[in-house]
Amino acid sequence: MNERPDHTHYRELLNLELDGCLNVEQRARLAAHLAACPECLAERGQLRAVSTLLERSALAVQPDFKQRVMASLPAAGWESRHPRTWSFPVAALVVLLAAGASLLGAGSARSGGGGAGSAYGLLAALGGLLRAALVAGVGVTAASWRWSEMFVEQLLASPMSLTMFGVFVVCLNLVLVSLIRRSTGRHGSSAAAAAPGAGLGAAARRGSHRGGRATRSGRGR
Amino acid sequence: MNRGAVQPSDEELVASVLEGDREGFGVLVERYQGRLVNYLFRLLRNAEDAHDLAQEVLVKVYQVLDRYDPQYKFSTWLFRIAQNAAIDQIRRRRLKLVSLRIEDDDGEGRDWELPAPERGPYGDLRNRERAGAIQRAIDGLPWEYRELILLRHYGELPYEEIARLKQMPLGTVKNKLFRGRQMLKEKLQSFLTD
Repeated sequence: MNERPDHTHYRELLNLELDGCLNVEQRARLAAHLAACPECLAERGQLRAVSTLLERSALAVQPDFKQRVMASLPAAGWESRHPRTWSFPVAALVVLLAAGASLLGAGSARSGGGGAGSAYGLLAALGGLLRAALVAGVGVTAASWRWSEMFVEQLLASPMSLTMFGVFVVCLNLVLVSLIRRSTGRHGSSAAAAAPGAGLGAAARRGSHRGGRATRSGRGR
Repeated sequence: MNRGAVQPSDEELVASVLEGDREGFGVLVERYQGRLVNYLFRLLRNAEDAHDLAQEVLVKVYQVLDRYDPQYKFSTWLFRIAQNAAIDQIRRRRLKLVSLRIEDDDGEGRDWELPAPERGPYGDLRNRERAGAIQRAIDGLPWEYRELILLRHYGELPYEEIARLKQMPLGTVKNKLFRGRQMLKEKLQSFLTD
C-alpha cells in the first residue's frame, strides 16, 4: 500500500522549526520526511519567505525615540511617592527618637547630674510627663500649661537643647511627609500593582488615557 | 551569579533601576524599542501613533516599575501593558479606523515608512505594494490569530511567554500560530516568489 504521509503533522513541525522549537528527535524526523517530500520542502521555503517578508517590513524606530522616552520619564517617578525600602523612614525615626531622648536627657541632667544620674534623670523626666498626663485627667488645660512650661524651660536651658529640638521637628516632618507620600502612592497606583494580570492591563489602559496628549505635546517642544 | 561580559538580564536591569540607576531603564528602552514600536505599528497602522504609544507605554512601565513581579518575564509584562494600551486606543479611534479601512481598498491613506530593500522608482513602487500587502494580510487575519502573529513576529516573544500573556495553553498558541501563518502564506502568495 502506498500510505500518504501526514503532511499536517509535518507542517506543524515546520512551524516549530521556524521558531527554533524542535527537539532533536523531531528535527531528525522532519529532516527524514523533507528528504522524500518535495511538497513539504516547498512549504518550508514558503514559510521562511513569509517570515522574511514580515521581518523586512519592520518599521525603523525614530532615531531620537530613546531620548524622548528618557526625557519624558517623570522627574522622580515612583521613587517620590513610593520609597522602595523602609530605610529612610526608619533612619528618620531613629534620629527622631535620639533627638527626643537627648532633649529629655539634657533637661534631666541639668537637674540631676551626669552618667548614671542622667539615665535616672531621663526616667524621672518620663515620669514627670506621665504625672502631667495624670494631672490632665483633672484639668487638661492646666496639664498642658504645665507641660508647656516644662518644655520651654528645658528648651531654653542650652543651645544644644534648642538644636536638638530643631532636628526633632525636621525629622518629624520628614517622617510624616514620607508616610503621607507612601500612602498616596499606594492609592494612586494600587490598580497597577498586579503582576502580569488583568489588573495591570486596566492600569495600562488608564495610563494611556492620561498620557496620550502629553506625549505628543512633549515631543513638539 | 554569572555576570562577566554577559549582558544583564531584564530582571537585573529592573532591579538596578529600582536602586536608582536610571540609565538601566535606557538599556531596557533600547532593548525593546524596535519590537514595541513595530508591534504597536501593526496594531495601530500608523507609525507616528505607534511611536507615541510606545513612548507612553514605556513611561507607564517606568512609573509602576516597583510593582513588577520578577517571577514573570519583563517582556511579558511590557507587552501586556502595550497590548492593553493599543486595544484601548483602537477602541477610542474606532471610527477613524473604519474610515482608514475604506481608504485601504485603493492602497492610499496609509503611513508607510518601511525600509526599502529595492532602490529606484520601480523598487519604491514594489516596496509600497509589498508593505501594503503585508499590512492588508495582517489586518485580514481574525483577531485571535493576528495578535499571536504580531506577538511572535514583531514582539519576538517565545511561545511560553505568549501563552502566559494570553492565558492560553501552549498547544493552543502553537496551533493558532500555525493556522495564522497558513493564512498569511495564502494572502501573500504573489510576494513569496520574489
